[in-house]
Amino acid sequence: MAWMVDRYRALRSLLRREHLEDDVAEELEFHLAMRTEEYVARGMTPEAAREEALRRFGSVDAYRRQTHMIDEGLAREQRRMELWDMVRRETRQALRSLARSPAFAVMAVLTLALGLGATTALYSVVDAVVLRPLPYAAPEQLVWLDSPVPGVGPEARWGLSEAGYFHFAREAHGLSALGVFSFESGSLATDEGAARVDTAWVSASMMDVLRARPALGRLLPTDGDLPGAPRIAVLGYDFWVRQYGADPRVLGMKVRLDGVPTEVVGVMAPGLHLPDDTVDLWAPLMLDPSRPPENSHWLQAVGRLRDGVTVAQAQAELTALTARLPALFPGAYSEDFMRERGFSTAVTPLARHVVGDVDRVLWFLLGSVALVLLIACANVANLFLVRAEARRRELAVRSALGAARGDLAWHALTESLLLCLLAGGLGLSLAWGALRLMLALAPPGLPRLEEVGLGVPGVAFAAVLSVAAGLVFGLFPLTQAGRGLAALRESGRGLTSSRRRNLVRGGIVVGQVGLAVVLLAAAGLMLRSYWTLYNVDPGFQPGQALTFDLVLPETRYPSSDEVNRFHRELLARLEALPGVSSVGAASRLPLRNFSGCAVLFTEGGAQPSAEPPCLPVMRTAPGYFESLGIPLRQGRELTWEDLDRKADGVVVTNALAERLWPGEAALGKGIRGNGHGPPYYRVIGVTGELRAHGLDKPPSEAVFFPLAQAEGLPLWGPARSLSVVVRTATTRPESLAPAVRDIMKELDPSVPLANVETLERVVAKSPSVARASFTLFLLGIAGGMALLLSVVGLYGVISFIVGQRRGELGIRMALGARAAQVAGLVVFQALRFAALGIVLGLAGTLAMSQVLGALLFEVSPTDPVVLAAVCALLVALAVLASYGPARRAARVDPAEVLRSE
Amino acid sequence: MRIDLLQGTLDMLILKALTGGALHGYAVASWLQRTTDDALRVEEGSLYPALHRMTRRGWVKSDWGVSENNRRARFYTLTAAGRRQLEEEFSAWERLTEAVAKVLHARPAAQRA
Repeated sequence: MAWMVDRYRALRSLLRREHLEDDVAEELEFHLAMRTEEYVARGMTPEAAREEALRRFGSVDAYRRQTHMIDEGLAREQRRMELWDMVRRETRQALRSLARSPAFAVMAVLTLALGLGATTALYSVVDAVVLRPLPYAAPEQLVWLDSPVPGVGPEARWGLSEAGYFHFAREAHGLSALGVFSFESGSLATDEGAARVDTAWVSASMMDVLRARPALGRLLPTDGDLPGAPRIAVLGYDFWVRQYGADPRVLGMKVRLDGVPTEVVGVMAPGLHLPDDTVDLWAPLMLDPSRPPENSHWLQAVGRLRDGVTVAQAQAELTALTARLPALFPGAYSEDFMRERGFSTAVTPLARHVVGDVDRVLWFLLGSVALVLLIACANVANLFLVRAEARRRELAVRSALGAARGDLAWHALTESLLLCLLAGGLGLSLAWGALRLMLALAPPGLPRLEEVGLGVPGVAFAAVLSVAAGLVFGLFPLTQAGRGLAALRESGRGLTSSRRRNLVRGGIVVGQVGLAVVLLAAAGLMLRSYWTLYNVDPGFQPGQALTFDLVLPETRYPSSDEVNRFHRELLARLEALPGVSSVGAASRLPLRNFSGCAVLFTEGGAQPSAEPPCLPVMRTAPGYFESLGIPLRQGRELTWEDLDRKADGVVVTNALAERLWPGEAALGKGIRGNGHGPPYYRVIGVTGELRAHGLDKPPSEAVFFPLAQAEGLPLWGPARSLSVVVRTATTRPESLAPAVRDIMKELDPSVPLANVETLERVVAKSPSVARASFTLFLLGIAGGMALLLSVVGLYGVISFIVGQRRGELGIRMALGARAAQVAGLVVFQALRFAALGIVLGLAGTLAMSQVLGALLFEVSPTDPVVLAAVCALLVALAVLASYGPARRAARVDPAEVLRSE
Repeated sequence: MRIDLLQGTLDMLILKALTGGALHGYAVASWLQRTTDDALRVEEGSLYPALHRMTRRGWVKSDWGVSENNRRARFYTLTAAGRRQLEEEFSAWERLTEAVAKVLHARPAAQRA
């Protein structure tokens, strides 16, 4: 760096003008003398005149200071101009020099741009999902409150009950506010028609918790939360823009929300949503504090910690408050329940709750593309080396002619900086494209996806990387090409230094191959994992079926009978469509929303059944199992005739039957979903194994209750929200969509349809599959790039070495070596590099097996098949990369070589 | 009566003073004082920095010469750039004074109650 300092000093002294101190003093003296003479002429004594002249002049020091400052300021300005000139000059020179070797420039820019683009794109995702704070005021104070359901796995969580909410909101002093909400799909009818809306039913305190602000109008008022308050709603910003074209006249508009007349009072500030969901509409939850407490945990809860309160303190307080539930609400929370369930309330930082474990996948992927960037850098470093080699004589001549070493370095640096900035710019546009592609492919389970974009952090990231790469590549060849005069003397034949350079080059290639092995192994393992996952039998047939959702509003269809009549009419009409082979419906779909939690009671069994305490229960219409292609292992399902008779049959999954009645016949056993005593629903059918929670999860336990309530047996009210499945054998399922819409319009145009898609799409979008395919996709690209880059690198190095060894090879040929032997020598050299790289890469893969293993499904991170395949692939490619150079080596004419020596 | 100079006006006056030929600093000060009948008395403490600044900007150039009473003094001469600068400042000044005069002579708008 010393030469840079020198250069700066030279520039400064050049620009600094001669010192003016003496001149200033002389000019000042002249002025004062003239003034003094003037005053003496007016009759003052010389002393008095001198004093007066000085007084009149003012501060001499201030004058000196001022002139000094003027000089400094102007000099700075001048320096800036000079510097700018220099940058322009150097840039022009660098451009000219790059234009002289366009192949090098294009290769280097493209290689780096690929690496930079991929890294920047993934960094932008990591930044948006993991690093950026949540879009609420003081987000670090926000916590998520819920209760783990023991024995069901980490994903099963209960929310808060109404009683719990009021209790905690009143007593938890560590929280400055506690809000609850329930997120539901509904319909919004205005004069213009019906729209499906995602509604956040929130307690008024939710506004405080999120520190929400309106973009227009007002928010939900604190007293609007009580039952009986006028029905109002606040539009989500995006929904307002999408649905109403950002028309401010929505304020005061009357709409029907799920059929209930509601007034729009405001629009929420842009970007404000619930932690896990995007909200179209905010409406007051209207909880009644005087309602009898129930052990029903249907509310999601977010709290805000008071200033200075830690998560641990809040957790301690809520644990204590939870322990008091049985004493306060003995009817709802028995001591037994608390003990058997180990019931607890968990306080989680909201960011952790939102991001979950996705950050692991993202960091892993970012690490992978960072490896690609490293490989790209290695390639570019190699290109720079080759170029430095080619320019060694030029540089040597120039330095012999008196060019300062600093000057040469300066040229090299501007050249590489320019190159890297070009690459950075190109990389940014690649990243932009890659992000769009990634967003289109990203799994639905990926949180905060809507925040991903090429923002300031991404651009800054690319800029920093480019400049860093520029500096490294600019200074790197210096360590090689420094001894200019030595290069002249050695006139291109010195063995020692060229061997050293080959060592560096070989090291780079070995490293490249190693990194490629790591990436390809990861991609290969993911591919195997995905394949295994893909081949898991979900227990139903995803092909050839179309699904859609609908919700019947309570106001139009108040009773179970009306709901059932509508459903039956709809399903009958669908079944009559040409090409439709079967139609079914249920409250939930496998791999989509197969969640829910109900405590089950079995006849004669432990009450309630020991574990897990909470299972998904479906409401199914006749034809459900056939239309989904779920085989029944025993028994049958209910028919419309059964429903008319108010029959009491249920179907259970095989996994549940085996746990509840091991070694016994399940058919005829009694089961019910709430604790009001006998009678029971009777098991009339058992399905095959059904993986409805995720292909990577164990077979699901579930109970399929009938759509309609049986005689004298309680169910949970009318099944208003329904997913319909239409199976066809003769046509593409998506082609049924228009006919389905027509039927719905005929039946009731005010009921909106949602999620019209094929069942295959539902499976592809399910989190386990989508996440695996997303990871696989990105790793595949990274691995492919790594492979390509390392083959290019290998080829470059081998052909360079062949070029250097021409003399030696020629002599060997002259001494009788056959062409095949010479070619073999070359291939052998390539294989040696590849072998070293493979060993290095395998070691790296083993070192990463812990991280990799967490992402794989039923595949070992050291799977020998995958590792062997990757090694074989790289060996094959090494042979391929050396094929060209080997042929050239074999064609060396010994006579010609010897002549030129 | 003394008048305080507007920011930047001093430069213009100095440039004007130099249009008659080379002058040393003292002569510039005296000329300004005489021409304005003592109404404008240039602060000498700011006169020299101004001359210095204008030299640096290339509006005037300075040479050492011999004064009327045979002393070594620094004489300032207007350069072509300085002449252009003076023209620009002069026309800007005229526009400004004209505009200010218009306002000062206009009838004020009636205040609304």
